[in-house]
Amino acid sequence: MNNKVVIWSVLFLGVMGLYILGEGTIFVEGARLLFASIILVSITIYYYIDRASSGEDIYLRKIPGLQALEEAVGRATEMGKSVLFVPGIMDLDQVETVTGLNLLGHVAEYTAQYETSLNVPVSRSIVMEAGREICKESYLKSGRPDLYYDDMVHYISDEQFAYAAGVNGIMEREKPAACFYLGKFYAESLILAETGNSIGAIQIAGTGSPSQIPFFVTACDYTLIGEEFFTASAYLSNKPELVGSIKGQDIVKLLVMIAMVLTVVFNGLYQAGWIAFDILSLF
Amino acid sequence: MLLKRHIPLMILIGVGLLTLFGHFINNEGIQNFVNNDATQWFDIIASFAIFLGALNMLKIQLMKIIKKQKNWQYSILAVIGFAFAIFAGFFYRGANFITLSDVKDGQLAVVSAIIAEEINESNPHLIQTKLEASQTAFEIDKIYMTSESAKSVIEKLHPYVDTIELKSKPWGAHVQTKGSLFYWMFINIITPLGATMFALLAFFVASASYRAFRIRNFEATLLLVAGIILMLGRVPIGGLIPWWAVSIILMFGISAISAPFIKERSLLLGLTSGGIIIIIICGTFMGWNQHPPELLSIPVIQDWIFAYPTMAGSRALMIGIALGIVATSFRIIIGLDKSFLGDK
Repeated sequence: MNNKVVIWSVLFLGVMGLYILGEGTIFVEGARLLFASIILVSITIYYYIDRASSGEDIYLRKIPGLQALEEAVGRATEMGKSVLFVPGIMDLDQVETVTGLNLLGHVAEYTAQYETSLNVPVSRSIVMEAGREICKESYLKSGRPDLYYDDMVHYISDEQFAYAAGVNGIMEREKPAACFYLGKFYAESLILAETGNSIGAIQIAGTGSPSQIPFFVTACDYTLIGEEFFTASAYLSNKPELVGSIKGQDIVKLLVMIAMVLTVVFNGLYQAGWIAFDILSLF
Repeated sequence: MLLKRHIPLMILIGVGLLTLFGHFINNEGIQNFVNNDATQWFDIIASFAIFLGALNMLKIQLMKIIKKQKNWQYSILAVIGFAFAIFAGFFYRGANFITLSDVKDGQLAVVSAIIAEEINESNPHLIQTKLEASQTAFEIDKIYMTSESAKSVIEKLHPYVDTIELKSKPWGAHVQTKGSLFYWMFINIITPLGATMFALLAFFVASASYRAFRIRNFEATLLLVAGIILMLGRVPIGGLIPWWAVSIILMFGISAISAPFIKERSLLLGLTSGGIIIIIICGTFMGWNQHPPELLSIPVIQDWIFAYPTMAGSRALMIGIALGIVATSFRIIIGLDKSFLGDK
């Protein structure tokens, strides 16, 4: 068996042992399963990060939405129009917003290389500042700091529909050729996507809001659904550590599926009276 | 480099690990920090950061007006709206109210009648009871946006009351006080504009549905059929569709699914027609006219679609999203993903 698997397994058991010993004194009671889950998930992801850093080649399936990012920017360049990037309407405390800003960095690199104008209207001030830093670094990294200016990332409004109205106005007036909606969205998602559809822009969307995904799927050319959106930054960076974390995430998903099947089976056996162990008592 | 990269990274990793594992540490101070202080710190920082955004917006709109760039006229509206909101929030409270005390002897009924008329209270005796019971100054339950509008009431009460004052709600509280200028702006301008934008969704949903429900492939057809069943099941007319109509629809659905496998069209037609006739005859003999089975009811089918396949799909999506959030947060907390700092 792989030595690293043994080491990590021993580490996991050791940490759990420490937690159980300190339960009630140093550590809170009744959170054993949650703690074990967090440690197990962390170890699994880190194990595959370590394997990828060691040089292991990790296969990632093609995600059309991510491969279309550069194509969309290229399309805007050919048409002589701008690129619109909407990083959602929530603040930087949301993981989706952070993920959206990571993708903004990649899009900004493309726009810098292709010399296409980029417009990033934001709904929160902190997101504006973070977005500016990211765009500045991307333009610097692409060797085109002269093309960067602060107002490419600009604030519109904190109010949901005021922001949607502002972005719609930008779309109707400037008619960008490529629109990216990557972040946390609520009801304004369909308004933005339909307006983008009406101006004939290529649209790529990605969000972690399950209720908004159907609207984006309907109205946009490409949609990053659920996990595809969160792995996008790691996928595009192509860094071994980040790609390894994607595999770790997939393995965790596999473990969750196995746990679900086992729970169904054991609960069924318990309900039928064949075993005395109630697996649901663990939760 | 130290200020822009390493220090933010150290703060991020430190606070991230503390917040993550703080849930499991049996210490009141840490628990309080994780549950209350950490989120409050963010709220405070975000509240101050609003100035950055507001000034940026103002700067862009003013530059558009000064340089007379394309569509600069809209920017005038933006600047006026901004100025009005600043005025209503920071300079003009408008949330005025009247307090009175030391009502002259024998004038309680008169004062109560004036106040009742002012606040549209049909029973002045209630006001009189509150006036008698009040230990300190009595506050009239009405907010005046301007002091001029309150003066007419003060003049009416002046002959009967020794002490009458016009006060304003405290700064900050005035934005939520009904009758203040800010509240008026929110209710009469911002809310209707937001509702207008929200109402656009109805038309956008219709146009998006039209595009989504076009029968291009099997998945789109399935979406269309499920959508129709769900829409019918949610309205009263869905419950009025008889069992035999639902049977016919189900038979057509089965035929559509099996059509690619049955080459002979006449055979397919025969099977479909025969199936429909058999179901209707059997159902009639089994008394389905009086007690139709639940399976052949559109609202029941709609409930089943909602409770099982839809729920399963959305839960699978949510599990995937949750795992994505966990993995992304893990990468950020351990400092592996520094993209948001601008570092690739």
